[in-house]
Amino acid sequence: MNQMINRRALLRAAGATAVVSNMAAIDALSQPSFASELARGEKSVILLWLAGGASQLETWDPKPGRLTGGPFSKIQTCIPGVEISELLPKMSTRLDETAIIRSLNTKIGDHGQAYELMDRGRVGEPGVRFPHLGAIISHELGQIDSRVPDYVSMYTSTEGRRQGSAGFLGARYNPMFLTEKMMPENIGRHDAISQVDHQDRAALRDFLAKRFVRDLKNPSVHSHENAYERVHGLMACDYLFDIDKEPQSMRDHYGPTQFGQQCLIARRLVEAGVPFVKVARAWWDSHGQNFETHQELCADLDQCMSALLDDLKQRGLLEKTLVITLGEFGRTPQINGSLGRDHFANAWSCTLSGCGIRGGVVHGKTDEDGQSVVEGEMNAGDLFATIFAALGIEHDKEYMVGSRPVPLSDFGSTPCREVLA
Amino acid sequence: MRLAHCWILSVGVACLSVVCLRPQTSLGSDVYELAKRIDRHIDARLRSEEITPTDFVDHAAFLRRVTLDLAGRIPTQSELDDYLNAEPRDRKQRLVKRLIESPDFAYHQRNQLDILLLLRQEHNDKWREYLLEATRDNRPWDRLFREIMLPEESPSSDPRPVAFLKRRTNDLDAMTNDSSVTWFGVNVACAKCHDHPLVSDWTQAHYYGMAAFFQRTFQTRKGFIGERFDGRPKFTDENGEQQEAEFMFLTGTKVADPPLEFSEEELKQLNEQIKQAERDDKAEVPPRPDFRPRARLVELALSDDQQQFFARNITNRIWARFFGRGIVHPLDQMHSENPPSHPELLSELSDDLRESGYDLRRLIHAIVLSEPYARSVERASDAAPMPPELFAAAVPRPLSPRQLALSLRMVSIGPEKMLQWQSNEWEKQREQLERQADGLARSLVIPDDDEFQVPVSEALWFSNNQTIENDILNGSGDRLVGYLKTLESDSQLVSVAVKVILSREADDEETQAMATYLRSRTDRREQAIKQILWSLLGSPEFRFNH
Repeated sequence: MNQMINRRALLRAAGATAVVSNMAAIDALSQPSFASELARGEKSVILLWLAGGASQLETWDPKPGRLTGGPFSKIQTCIPGVEISELLPKMSTRLDETAIIRSLNTKIGDHGQAYELMDRGRVGEPGVRFPHLGAIISHELGQIDSRVPDYVSMYTSTEGRRQGSAGFLGARYNPMFLTEKMMPENIGRHDAISQVDHQDRAALRDFLAKRFVRDLKNPSVHSHENAYERVHGLMACDYLFDIDKEPQSMRDHYGPTQFGQQCLIARRLVEAGVPFVKVARAWWDSHGQNFETHQELCADLDQCMSALLDDLKQRGLLEKTLVITLGEFGRTPQINGSLGRDHFANAWSCTLSGCGIRGGVVHGKTDEDGQSVVEGEMNAGDLFATIFAALGIEHDKEYMVGSRPVPLSDFGSTPCREVLA
Repeated sequence: MRLAHCWILSVGVACLSVVCLRPQTSLGSDVYELAKRIDRHIDARLRSEEITPTDFVDHAAFLRRVTLDLAGRIPTQSELDDYLNAEPRDRKQRLVKRLIESPDFAYHQRNQLDILLLLRQEHNDKWREYLLEATRDNRPWDRLFREIMLPEESPSSDPRPVAFLKRRTNDLDAMTNDSSVTWFGVNVACAKCHDHPLVSDWTQAHYYGMAAFFQRTFQTRKGFIGERFDGRPKFTDENGEQQEAEFMFLTGTKVADPPLEFSEEELKQLNEQIKQAERDDKAEVPPRPDFRPRARLVELALSDDQQQFFARNITNRIWARFFGRGIVHPLDQMHSENPPSHPELLSELSDDLRESGYDLRRLIHAIVLSEPYARSVERASDAAPMPPELFAAAVPRPLSPRQLALSLRMVSIGPEKMLQWQSNEWEKQREQLERQADGLARSLVIPDDDEFQVPVSEALWFSNNQTIENDILNGSGDRLVGYLKTLESDSQLVSVAVKVILSREADDEETQAMATYLRSRTDRREQAIKQILWSLLGSPEFRFNH
């Protein structure tokens, strides 16, 4: 609790002095002793989810000049020999901490099934409720009595809203899900009860509950108590979702879009020790007007992702925060009659940045039109294995579901060593 | 049956006292004898393992447990008072009989079957109506199976049982596995890509054999279920060879695929017609083939020498509902390498169920009258923990979303109003409560078969959501808060609150703690009352059936 109060006081101070000296406040936050106290030395993941499927050709794997290349050109990045789409100029100067994977072949081109595949790293099976990435990470990296959420999920619009399930890991690892508002539901105290009564009431509940729970060996009953123990800690986290606490210059850096604001919240959350944050950005499903769509959305992605990486780096958080930029699939090289690109899962791209990643690396290669992977092919399981390896989690560790062993990443998957630090 | 007779001979005198209360059933021994057989099997194993079971719960705790289990809600204050003051002789038997014959039983049984059959996937009013009708007339389980798996045989005016298949017609794997798990307690999914790696019972031939029964099933655009005239699944076996599946049930019994009576041309036309009906809601419904694999599966699964999976599965599932685990556990792992904890008991109960004409009410009746059902939960001691498969102690079971939502609704009602409801048109009120509980029930997590964890979102909801403050703890006259406001004595107030919410008497320490809480808030008494009610509702004692 003391940490919370310190931190709140400090943030309040940071807000007050914003006009005078933003950098000083930021420096204060990034002082090693204070930062480590806040982040508890834990690793975190921020998943930037491009819902609907972004085009690899307008982002990480451009093919200008080819029949299927589209109107945009490519630009040289800060890494010699590596070129990306001109739609990502900011990112082109910030690839030092980022690895590009251009060789995903995940085969499934239907939104629902592809979402499940890229969310769980394996094809579903009836009768087994596989957990999704966020639940696995929060299970592996979270702390049982954490005062912050284990897993926060935000989205901009219906397309990104799929909630996923913690499956057999249990409801303890369900996300705290932000719907329309930028604040989690039921995190704020009801007006009808004062702060003091809210806490006293909880103390009375604890007293009654303990008399019942006493000597009881049942884990479900204990999970109930654990959930109530976390309530006040989580309520005290409300400030993490309040970006008014950030200096205006910091907010400008992330930009005015909802995606930008949520990325900023994501940084605040991982800074406070939340192990997994998902920010979904919708409307990438550009069956028509692919190029206008990407012009607009890539600008948003470019600004938010680069701001996030800068910010994390400045605070010394990037080395323990893995940023994943991924969707359910890519888009066809063929351009359809509506100047759109359709679903395409055979040769597409994603990026991994920060924690455990060797920056500046490009893994894999597609053919000159981007129709197929010609080098370094990876499937969803391999990507998951790579993610776990980057975080120092054994990818082939097994969960037991009844008598059946289920490895963290699918059977037969291997981490891509080339992108690992 | 034979064993039961032996038992009656040996301890016949002891059961004379209940003879006059025996409910008559059509076949076999009566439910009291069935309950005693449960006791005997559980006892025998406990004795051989030298484990002393826990004590029986007291009357109030039994009332709460059995009311949640049979009526799907907590008991009211008047039910508690009546039960505690009832003539002691046979009061438990009378209580169980009353509950099992009450309208609440049909509602709760409906809610439970809804979770089992639609596997938490959707909310469907028509389907729920259909199930309620079935549970009201205690429709036999084999008949329900038939109606749900062969909805096309229902009168055309009653398309409601279609929901189970409809949900799964575009996913053969889901239809195959969900059907096997739900009706037969067998999860064959692991044998899809290779023979089951851990269980020699299940091979690819079993998986695709089951899938074959479903492969021809389709759904028309209008929502009718039909079957195609040809087609069986093909698969690559472990030697890399292409195979065409045979219709094969889990027992290994096969059904021959009769030769087609059509020419290639006619078949093509029929298949075209089916395609049309799948796309176009104005298209004519295609004719039904004479040979319908799904109907053959139902027939086979219910035939005399193949019924064991069907009967044992539902027996085991009903058992697990009352004890928190199955005699075979997990529930979808019925195979030779996962034997039942009490094989004879499972056989006798499932035989009895078959002989009674799949009368689920009878099975449930016997289970709640058995001794192991009335045991208290295990508390930590120096002794080693009791192996859960011995059923030596009760296991606290989380309330289902609907049990919890209904109980919250019940709590919000003032005791006087509740009494009025109970003496007049209770069934109508129950229907109303069910509807009111819908929204909340849907937002809560359905407990798994295994270890359930309460998500923190639930604790946050309880702590801060306005539904609790404005609705459940509403202070108007005919609500609980309104009623408690009229009481002057704090100890009386606490006594009513604890009775209504936790279905028992408050003890001294609790009374003192809550009275102190009230006394230090005399300036805001109504709020203080709400706060002590909240602290009772937020207790695990309310959240679990124990």
